[in-house]
Amino acid sequence: MSVRPGPWLAAPTALFLLAFFAMPLLIVSWYSLMPPRTFSMLGTPTLANYGAAFSDGYEKPLLWSMLGATLTTLICAVLAWPTAKILHAHAGRAASIITALIALPIFISESVRLFGLSMFLMPRGGILAGSLNAWFDIQIGSILNTRLAALLGMIYVYFPFMLFPLLLGVSLIPEDRLEAARDLGAGRWALFREIELPLAAPGLMIGALLTFVLCLGANAEAAILGGRAVTVISAAIEQRFSYAQDWPMGAALTVLVILVTAAVVWPVLRRVDLNRIIQR
Amino acid sequence: MICDRHVRYLKAVWIGTIILLLYIPIVSVVLVSLANTRYMRFPHRVWSVDAYREAVDSFTTWSIHLVSLKMALCVVVMAVVLGTLGAMAFARYDWRGRSVFQRLIVLPIFFPQPVLGLALLLSFSAMGITPGWKTAVIAHAVWIVPIVTLVISIRLFGYDVAQEEAAFDLGASRWQVAREVTLPALWPGIFSGALFAFLLSWSNLPLSIFTSGADTPLPVWLFSRTATNYSPLVPAVAVIGTVISALLVVVLLVLRRIFRRA
Repeated sequence: MSVRPGPWLAAPTALFLLAFFAMPLLIVSWYSLMPPRTFSMLGTPTLANYGAAFSDGYEKPLLWSMLGATLTTLICAVLAWPTAKILHAHAGRAASIITALIALPIFISESVRLFGLSMFLMPRGGILAGSLNAWFDIQIGSILNTRLAALLGMIYVYFPFMLFPLLLGVSLIPEDRLEAARDLGAGRWALFREIELPLAAPGLMIGALLTFVLCLGANAEAAILGGRAVTVISAAIEQRFSYAQDWPMGAALTVLVILVTAAVVWPVLRRVDLNRIIQR
Repeated sequence: MICDRHVRYLKAVWIGTIILLLYIPIVSVVLVSLANTRYMRFPHRVWSVDAYREAVDSFTTWSIHLVSLKMALCVVVMAVVLGTLGAMAFARYDWRGRSVFQRLIVLPIFFPQPVLGLALLLSFSAMGITPGWKTAVIAHAVWIVPIVTLVISIRLFGYDVAQEEAAFDLGASRWQVAREVTLPALWPGIFSGALFAFLLSWSNLPLSIFTSGADTPLPVWLFSRTATNYSPLVPAVAVIGTVISALLVVVLLVLRRIFRRA
């Protein structure tokens, strides 16, 4: 063929993402340099917003979001590892049905599922507390409207995002290599650390990355389950944009989240070969 | 020494618990929707389907579903067109910028959605564009186009390029090859891509919430009504919306099976 179609086929998608993904990020970055509480993009660039972000306590929501994302990622990884191993070891009809059952909730809106969780956890008349009270005469308190509840919500919503890449990762471990190691006398821990973990690493890293990044921006969990117990970064940014009418400050906070995201995503994406994972 | 049977039993319990935990909230929504009082006190004194009757009669239910439907259909069209072209560049052809393209195109997936929504909101506002369902469609597409691209690419990696060359050798035109060879081979990928696009758009909250402006798609309505002005109407609408998307998937899968046989 005389013409090379690659660039032409890539162009529409690339242009679309340039216009509506790269551009907005650039506009936000530029806005973050505008003088506080202005709406024009023509002001003299200043770093005042970043200074204010750290002196006025806006680093707190960011830290909460980062802490929540880290905890969720770790807990999801610990829960997903044995699940992925079991599903892989017993691959077959039952395992694919179970996998589908775990995937299904992804397609049910977060607002529906989180609302359900809040109704389940509600004190007194909630599904859990109400049933225990009516049928077993047990009274329990509730964790609703605490940070713990928001964390629980994030683990619940993002667990599948950790599980599926990990499932892919676990399938990269060749069975004969495990057997060879066992024959050579490797214990369970050595097996995990020396063989399973490094071989499943691409999947684990993608899953961890996805979970961390999605949690970093998550705000519905804190809003529906966390009550006023915690302000996450997305809520802080929204508050700056809307009620406070301070676009440059909101933009500066957005840029901080973008920087954290880039710092986590870029090194991993550079190391992981997506082609190899997708081709499986 | 723990025997094999115990290990199997433990594994089954573990998987069972995970499934149970994932479905508790969904079952809770259904249970809650069967009440007829504003204040939830479970177990309900009276179980009723009043909320569903009210939901079907209410104009709001229809309008939020229509907004969601309209958005999801637009997203599907954009995602299928851009995703198919993108996937051809991603997986089918080898070209100089390919590895850069592959890395850049996945970035929107690895980006916090609400933050993307907020960045788009600020950009649209700065350009004087009033947010509405159309801006929300754009926001959805930024996230969904890369996903659909990957879904179709997975299919393309297993595609044998030699078929196309054979068709060319036999004298087929470029258009004929695209229609008779490439598209049929890609069709399963495009089908799942379109399905993904629809479901992900239909259920999306974090992008819609900041970019849909005065138009309220289903998830945003549910989100705002759980916080204020709660009534059993809310879970009833949640169940209706979820059932509609489930029905759609079932119908499409059945249709595909029928077409495959034909």
